[in-house]
Amino acid sequence: MALTGPAPPRGSAAATANMRRRRTSSAGAGAGASGGAAGTMLQFYTDDAPGLKISPNVVLVMSIGFIAFVAVLHVMGKLYFVRKE
Amino acid sequence: MGGGFRVLHLVRPFLAFLPEVQSADRKVPFREKVIYTVISLFIFLVCSQLPLYGIHSTTGADPFYWMRVILASNRGTVMELGITPIVTSGLVMQLLAGSKIIEVDNNVREDRALLNGAQKLLGIIIAIGEAVAYVLSGMYGSVNQLGVGNAILIIVQLCFAGIIVICLDELLQKGYGLGSGISLFIATNICENIIWKAFSPTTINSGRGAEFEGAVIALFHLLITRNDKVRALREAFYRQNLPNVTNLLATVLIFLIVIYFQGFRVVLPVRSKNARGQQGSYPIKLFYTSNMPIILQSALVSNLYFISQLMYRRYSGNFFVNLLGKWKESEYSGGQYVPVGGIAYYITAPSSLADMAANPFHALFYLVFMLSACALFSKTWIEVSGSSARDVAKQLKEQQMVMPGHREANLQKELNRYIPTAAAFGGMCIGALTVLADFMGAIGSGTGILLAVTIIYQYFETFEKERASELGFFGF
Repeated sequence: MALTGPAPPRGSAAATANMRRRRTSSAGAGAGASGGAAGTMLQFYTDDAPGLKISPNVVLVMSIGFIAFVAVLHVMGKLYFVRKE
Repeated sequence: MGGGFRVLHLVRPFLAFLPEVQSADRKVPFREKVIYTVISLFIFLVCSQLPLYGIHSTTGADPFYWMRVILASNRGTVMELGITPIVTSGLVMQLLAGSKIIEVDNNVREDRALLNGAQKLLGIIIAIGEAVAYVLSGMYGSVNQLGVGNAILIIVQLCFAGIIVICLDELLQKGYGLGSGISLFIATNICENIIWKAFSPTTINSGRGAEFEGAVIALFHLLITRNDKVRALREAFYRQNLPNVTNLLATVLIFLIVIYFQGFRVVLPVRSKNARGQQGSYPIKLFYTSNMPIILQSALVSNLYFISQLMYRRYSGNFFVNLLGKWKESEYSGGQYVPVGGIAYYITAPSSLADMAANPFHALFYLVFMLSACALFSKTWIEVSGSSARDVAKQLKEQQMVMPGHREANLQKELNRYIPTAAAFGGMCIGALTVLADFMGAIGSGTGILLAVTIIYQYFETFEKERASELGFFGF
């Protein structure tokens, strides 16, 4: 397990042992102690799943684009569509 | 993989359309993580100030008033739904999987992927459903007033905001950021609230001349402008219906108490079977379930409030409806309904110490309700979320860890001595702290503060861990 983990493969025994050590303590924390609200609620999210793959930068750009879109809507609304009534 | 029909397989056709953030294929450096976290937070904050386009009005009572704090939502803004869709779908899927209604084999890759997809899909569906319900129920003005075009625009905005929150949360959880999006957003919302109440420069005229809303600013303002300094101090400390300095001090005190209690833990020594001499420890914290009991408790209470309010408005004469709760419009917090009778009243925190002295039975009932509900939720949560003694023993066994001085079969029994007690007692402590915070009138309600502190503490721990792993873990 320790070798397939995301840690940099150092190969030395010390690194593996430490990896395992840390894994235990983080398992203790993540299992319910400090995971808390979201950690336990959304533990499924950590896996990779097939789907529409997007990179993190795309997410950020998408969000900022959305904010800009709503802002433009406000401006257009003020300029062009004067509400009746 | 059992044969036959499974509910989970219904999700498969949709899997290809669900947005999915790529996992980090390299180790993301700490600095980059901080940058991603800050940008996500910035996006969230902008979204929670940006008004929705096309709404007519947001006046009138807000039935979700009680839930806003834990759901990081802001009325009339793009973040109207906040994290409701994710939390609800996460809770529902967790409960379904935990109670074995849908069968998931956590060792099968496809199952995990399907469950993941199902949760996201449910989140998006809930976002759409809630957006439609909000618009149709006339929260922003009736559909006739809005016009069909605007109504559709509002729904689109709310849905897209929901999808963005899901993506941001996934982005942070997939290793690009620190912690999880949900807790980050909740904590930010509450902290923003506290800072605002302390330093708000808004003035409010409540009959005695203009007063500042922010407690600290009001203190200085009163001290400088009033001639009678003692009366000015008293006013700043004890003024009603606006945040005062006592509230602020109570908030700080609760913060400190919770952080002090976070350190309470029982450390069980464990040893690896493979690597000789490799000692480890398995800490069981007093707050074993962390803030979960209060999240569940407030979810329960807010749902009860919502139902009770709706029923009271329709059929206020009915005996059972009155038993559930009687509501009255509050004179302070503009148009909010507050419970004045029935069960809803007794499970609401007394508004002040004076109120508590006047109705001791109410205070007692509230206390008992909070403590027992929190303990109960905490105990059920460890079963549902897979952190009970049995699960932990299994986990340790998979990692080839044993407790020195105990046989392997005894591991569960040994853990069983601590975990249920820690869960129940920890839940009770969390409940007690919430009650204490409410009684002292801490800013942002007891639930909110407890949530904020526990989340911030988790962040602090993550920070330390990240920093330590960045520096390298040698020589320890």
